[in-house]
Amino acid sequence: MENSTARALATTVGRRSFLKMAAVASVFGATSGFASGNVTRAATEEEVKNPFPGSKMVKTICTACSVGCGIIAEVHNGVWVRQEVAQDHPVSLGGHCCKGADMIDMVRSEVRLKYPMEKVNGQWKRISWDDALTKIATKLADLKKKDGADSVQFLGSAKIGNEQAYYFRKFAAFFGTNNTDHQARI
Amino acid sequence: MANTWGYGAMTNSMNDIQNSKAIIIFGANPAVNHPVGFQHLLKAKERNNAQLIVIDPRFTKTAAKADYYAQIRPGTDIPFMYGMLNIIFKNGWEDKEFIDARVYGMEDIRAEAAKWTPEVVADVTGVSVEKLIQITTVYAKNRPGTLIWAMGLTQHTIGTSNTRMAPILQLALGNMGKAGGGTNILRGHDNVQGATDMGCLSDSLPGYYGLAEGSWKYFAKSWGVDFEYLEKQFKDKSWMSKNGFTLARWWAGVEGVKNDEAIENAGTHLKALVVLGNGITSIAQQAKVKEALDHLDLIVLADPFVNEAAVLTDKKDNVFLLPAATQFETSGLVVATNRSAQWRYKVVEPLYESKPDQEIMFELAKRLGFYDLYVKGMMMEETKDGKLQMIPGKTTFIWPEDACNEIARIVKTIGLTGWTAERVKKHTDNWHMFDELTLEGTGPMKGEYYGLPWPCWTKTHSGSPNLYDTSKPVSMGGMGFRNNFGLEKDGVNLLAEKSVTVIGSKIQGGHAEITKDNIEKVLGITLSEEEKAMMGANWKVDNSNLIVQKCMEAGIAPYGNAKARAIVWNFPDKIPMHREPLHSPRPDLATKYPAYADKANHFRVMTKYISVQSAKDYSKEFPVNLVTGRLVNLNGAGVENRASKYLAALTPEMFISFNPDLGASLGVKDGDMVWVHSPEGTKIKVKAKYSHSVAPNMAFMPFHFAGHFQGEDRTANFPAGTKPFANGESANTVTNYGYDIITQIPETKGGLCRIEKA
Repeated sequence: MENSTARALATTVGRRSFLKMAAVASVFGATSGFASGNVTRAATEEEVKNPFPGSKMVKTICTACSVGCGIIAEVHNGVWVRQEVAQDHPVSLGGHCCKGADMIDMVRSEVRLKYPMEKVNGQWKRISWDDALTKIATKLADLKKKDGADSVQFLGSAKIGNEQAYYFRKFAAFFGTNNTDHQARI
Repeated sequence: MANTWGYGAMTNSMNDIQNSKAIIIFGANPAVNHPVGFQHLLKAKERNNAQLIVIDPRFTKTAAKADYYAQIRPGTDIPFMYGMLNIIFKNGWEDKEFIDARVYGMEDIRAEAAKWTPEVVADVTGVSVEKLIQITTVYAKNRPGTLIWAMGLTQHTIGTSNTRMAPILQLALGNMGKAGGGTNILRGHDNVQGATDMGCLSDSLPGYYGLAEGSWKYFAKSWGVDFEYLEKQFKDKSWMSKNGFTLARWWAGVEGVKNDEAIENAGTHLKALVVLGNGITSIAQQAKVKEALDHLDLIVLADPFVNEAAVLTDKKDNVFLLPAATQFETSGLVVATNRSAQWRYKVVEPLYESKPDQEIMFELAKRLGFYDLYVKGMMMEETKDGKLQMIPGKTTFIWPEDACNEIARIVKTIGLTGWTAERVKKHTDNWHMFDELTLEGTGPMKGEYYGLPWPCWTKTHSGSPNLYDTSKPVSMGGMGFRNNFGLEKDGVNLLAEKSVTVIGSKIQGGHAEITKDNIEKVLGITLSEEEKAMMGANWKVDNSNLIVQKCMEAGIAPYGNAKARAIVWNFPDKIPMHREPLHSPRPDLATKYPAYADKANHFRVMTKYISVQSAKDYSKEFPVNLVTGRLVNLNGAGVENRASKYLAALTPEMFISFNPDLGASLGVKDGDMVWVHSPEGTKIKVKAKYSHSVAPNMAFMPFHFAGHFQGEDRTANFPAGTKPFANGESANTVTNYGYDIITQIPETKGGLCRIEKA
């Protein structure tokens, strides 16, 4: 965990501070032999210009609010390594608020839920997806049979995409209840 | 809003606000909640010297940028706006031509407004006579003006009336259907507009089709299933057409929750809760939510982070946490506040064991035995003769593109026909080709507006940047108001008058919405037998889309060209009427402007109004007016942002802010811990934060925290390694009881509380 944290932090160093560090490193490199112990060395010009060779830029949309700001995500070997504002997006025009600028950290947050869990006798237990889904579906089917589909309440989201939201409503319809709602109510 | 003129959505866009000469904001704080969008308001100030007016109980960061600010008492927006209308009508500043040609029922508004003299308004709202006159004058003299609101206007027992009042003010000034005008509701979450359009609602199928049998039949057919099959899944056919429980009040349906409010839920209580991406620790009545969670048989919580409902409940078994992928680990269409579509491209594959939401639904559907029928719609298409068929040779689907195209095929009411995956992607790919001010495309995107704001009637339509704008041809997003309430009411014409002709339209003045029966007459065309055979009954259910096509040829909007209505004759208040909050600091006014009668079976549960309001004078025991809102670094229930070290560090603790004068009278210093008590008998322990932004009889709390409950730190209930970096009491443990009479949105803006040193 320590290592992964260090790596994650290293990759969140912004472009400006990276440049500063690189500049400092090159000064030391030239005058004091600071980088001579094979521990650090001056970044090459190419490394400064292009620290993630072969990375790709993905245009995407912020999830913080309804303004719909553009985000440029830089992905290197399947890892989201840097995030940049979209200067040419017609609504956000290069702007980001603190939430938007933090999207990369939200995705990579260490406190994400990492695997399915079930509470058993007051204790959280890790279980497999297959077990979790089968147990849930069995229970839902039982309830539908015994008490009717209206014994289940579905709560969807204003933070999922259109196709997912549509398929959430469709799920409740196929299950057989109108007990389905989401945050637009509040 | 939908009941006023057809669609309940932001009419213009953030960008279009740059065209405004005046901006008036009721109960919204875009400088904090939509910071990047706010730049367009600041540009309006630069470009047009636009006058920014903020009406809010709190001197917000938006108010700090305002030219005029009125500190209004929560829940008195209707008196304030009637006061504005009183002054407008008295001085003859209303747009008479616009009202005569495009509005039904303004006379009743004029009569009610006459009662709200500036002196009466000052007594009810707390805003001085001089300030009301000043603000009204500035707003009326600087047109076009745009009116902005958010939750500060909606979260009241009279929220629906509030959202009708604002359009009426705009109609009176002729500020509708033009650049720089409009009613610009700022949506909260990133896809509130889209998820609402998609019918994640207990009172409608996708696209606002409602729950009537005809709508179910249309969807059954469009999904490729028998209506009888769907019917069999419900208790009986009657329950298909009844509203379900809402997010606000589902807890009342759970057996064992101490509650004297009768439910009507197909003969059963709620036994299971399935939540996908919803921080239910941000809904009102947290103590009741906890009780309900404790009494359920099954709780399923699918979220990228631990849904804090799992921490709130003491339930020991059958609680499941499913790691859903974030929206950057899947892809799909997302709708911004201005009805425009963008394609949110996948950035990385789902981390850890997380799965995208659709996979969770598909896996459950497989185990429940309806998967094949559930996904069938993604493999269907409309044929040229208006029939539906399986796409030849297609045996599997591509997510989310085929789902996006299924939606475009089916949802016609709000004009999603043009929102194919291919087109929306093209817009996002080329976002640099659109003009900042008009959102119009250039080069290969010429003739289209960024994100194809709905209604986007056809696969080649431009999208509609400003609703109800008759100065543009329909092919470029022009339209009148929607004809959705009949052709006449008590002998009065409900269609637009002759002078209201959409540019380029073949029809002079107003016309009805187009159906198979009236199309020949209204458009003056003759259909061939073949065309008649393929055409659906009306534009909303016409698989052939021929009606829309014929309308485009004639330059008219298929939904008609009608008057907006100031009178909604099917609502409890036919015109918006002031009613005091259920917990009012002014009991004298609660007698004069009483709440509604209690309403049985309101989204399946008895909902109280007058019986709560008249039970006692709460203001003696609970003298402080309470409002809630957002912080710039957090959103919604807050877990996404509190799970970030950097954002959490900005506000590491839950707090309540109030005026130092109130602090002095309570003997509470800045930084002291206090108990905040509610009339429901609940309490929370939070840190006091002095602030001059709130009036001395008021307090403000953010609603983004969870993990603590009534003084108890419950964060030990988080599974190891999942606890967010900031935790605290939920403000909604003490927000008061109260729900809107139409939508059931909770009255969280403007309740009462008592603050005591802890």
